Amino acid sequence: MSDCGCDSARDALEEFIRNELDDVQIGEIRAHLEICPDCSDEQRVAERLREAVQRACREPAPPSLREVILENLREKHTPA
Amino acid sequence: MPATISAFADPVLTAGLGLLSMAHTEDSIDARFERDALPYLDQLYGAAMKMTRNPADAQDLIQETFLKAYSAFSSFTEGTNLKAWLYRIMTNSYINTYRKRQREPYLGVVEELEDWQMGGAESTTAMSSRSAEAEAIDQMPASVVTDALNSIPEDFRLAVYLADVEGFSYQEIADIMNTPTGTVMSRLHRGRKLLRGLLADYAAEQGVGVKEEKR
Repeated sequence: MSDCGCDSARDALEEFIRNELDDVQIGEIRAHLEICPDCSDEQRVAERLREAVQRACREPAPPSLREVILENLREKHTPA
Repeated sequence: MPATISAFADPVLTAGLGLLSMAHTEDSIDARFERDALPYLDQLYGAAMKMTRNPADAQDLIQETFLKAYSAFSSFTEGTNLKAWLYRIMTNSYINTYRKRQREPYLGVVEELEDWQMGGAESTTAMSSRSAEAEAIDQMPASVVTDALNSIPEDFRLAVYLADVEGFSYQEIADIMNTPTGTVMSRLHRGRKLLRGLLADYAAEQGVGVKEEKR
């Protein structure tokens, strides 16, 4: 593609922030992000979004659930 | 008490022993299960909440997952990816049992839907700048993000959860969701796009970082 590199960088940004690219691709995108404020802003949004999802999903199981599971397994183990 | 190696490899033969009383016996299935699998409880619960969207079903799903995992644990190869194995069991359980119970009809092959067909989740909001958008996302209350996640199609939601929260690779997500990696990528991209639009809409309602001319 004969663009300035933005199109291919945008297309691969999700894969870039997740380490799903090979070294050559990573190098290309990293080089582009250094010279392109628009794309590096886009990268920032993508990373903030991921962090926001992580924050919203911190949800420990109720303490009683562990006990229930252990009890289930014991019952499964011991024939009535 | 069964003392042979083969007895430890077969949960049926160890029947009658309390799970906890076995915990001190090295290499027993029970001890390994409790030591290796149970610590994933909190993480699995987070995923179960994202699948079922309510605590009662999430707890049922977790119980079913651990029972199935326990039964199959002798077939699990130690040293391979236990976390992904547990997620796969849970995802299969969810699809086979809980999805049928959900009030919302399953959308079927969600890849074939256009964005506008997915519950009006496409954003019409343009943020004034990406740095304003990044800032707005940073300030977003967790409850708003949770609501947004819960409103996107479940296959997208799960792909986003497995990638962003659990940090699974595309290949691992493909194995867990039993789809090609290309489908994982597409679900992730579209899910993230919908999510971003919903959060931008919320920011706009709050009057944060919206283009002047759009209001």
